[in-house]
Amino acid sequence: MQNENTLILKIQNKDEAALSELYDNYSPALYGVIIRMCKDEQHAQNLLQDTFMTVWDKAYQYNPEKGKFYTWAYRIAKNKTLNFLRKPKNLIQTEDLGVHTNKEDSITIEPDYLQLNGCLKQLELHHQKAIELVYFEGLTHREAHKEMDVPLGTFKSYIKQALKKLQLSYDKTVVWLLIFIEIIK
Amino acid sequence: MNRAYILEHGILEQYLLGELTAEEQVQVERVLNIDADLKNEFDILETNFEKMAFENAINPPNEVKANLMQNIKASQTKIIPLQKANPFKTYLYIASGIAACLLIGTIWLFLQLNSTDQQLEIAEEQKALLLEDIQGLTNNLEYATKYFEIVNSTDTQQYILIGNDLAPNAKVVSYVNHKSKSVIINTKELPKLDAEHDYQMWADVNGVMIDMGVINKEADLLAMNYINNAESLNITIEPAGGNDHPTVSRLVTNVYL
Repeated sequence: MQNENTLILKIQNKDEAALSELYDNYSPALYGVIIRMCKDEQHAQNLLQDTFMTVWDKAYQYNPEKGKFYTWAYRIAKNKTLNFLRKPKNLIQTEDLGVHTNKEDSITIEPDYLQLNGCLKQLELHHQKAIELVYFEGLTHREAHKEMDVPLGTFKSYIKQALKKLQLSYDKTVVWLLIFIEIIK
Repeated sequence: MNRAYILEHGILEQYLLGELTAEEQVQVERVLNIDADLKNEFDILETNFEKMAFENAINPPNEVKANLMQNIKASQTKIIPLQKANPFKTYLYIASGIAACLLIGTIWLFLQLNSTDQQLEIAEEQKALLLEDIQGLTNNLEYATKYFEIVNSTDTQQYILIGNDLAPNAKVVSYVNHKSKSVIINTKELPKLDAEHDYQMWADVNGVMIDMGVINKEADLLAMNYINNAESLNITIEPAGGNDHPTVSRLVTNVYL
């Protein structure tokens, strides 16, 4: 956390090495989100680069008191990807108009590649789906509840329950990790 | 917006994902600032959100980073001089250029004005000289016409005054017109005098010499005062400027009418 803030400060002073380090730390997490949203490797790479260009240019706007760097960068990446997906020319570029939705249209990668990992997999399917829609596909709560065909209130409680369970499993992981560390000692 | 509402409506999750409007965002931030418990809740949410992202991370190809760093280098070298320094400086250069042009133009105009003034002055002087010339010529013409009329009149009589021993070479032609009461003399052959003496002409009336005027050294042909009942014309040498009474001892010539 401290390290992260120092990096941001350096980036605010246009330190390229700091950006390089920040990129190494966060680009995989952000790329995971972007590619799951746009489902096209080439575009996802451009959007990732674009996201870090914005981080570089707008670093002075980041306020560590309001939240983590990842949250800030995630919002930038999500907005860029959504803007890209909404662009009309993106529709024109795809070969077969009308029949398929944009998302399905531009799939260029193996679906397995995008499968969610980690503690998420331990969740019930509807909880997993809810998290996936809002965290990784960039849908708003209002869009996502329609996608899942449940009322907005129900959808919100799905999210809440899912996050609680995640919290528990993360805590467990931490406990296991601590035990593991103890054993090693 | 308060804590209960925020928790009940899943506002924190939406805030985290950046789904809220700018106004709602400010409201949530205000509550988070004063409510430590809620802030703690949000921190947990954020931490888990980040963990989840790291668990689902996908490594991008190395070219992306290479491109990014290259772009940043390019933007570093491009943007700073072009966007920050240039527009202002360029305008400054343009403005100072214009100012310099105006200054040079003003100086040039000022010099032009000065020389025009001088030329105008010269022209005025020349004009005044020409006017004087014209005046002089007109006067000359008037005199000449008048003299010509007198000399040419049938009523005019010509008398020649021959110099005596004091001025053997002197010869003055006088034209006397009793009708128009005018006298004109030609002094072309009168010897030159020094600056302290002048010739003066007198008319003899019943034995009294009456002044007819001092003879102008500059003119050859000049008009003298006509005196009634003159018996003779006499010319004497007098001190410069003329005398009240003739110096008879210095009479150079005379003629009886």
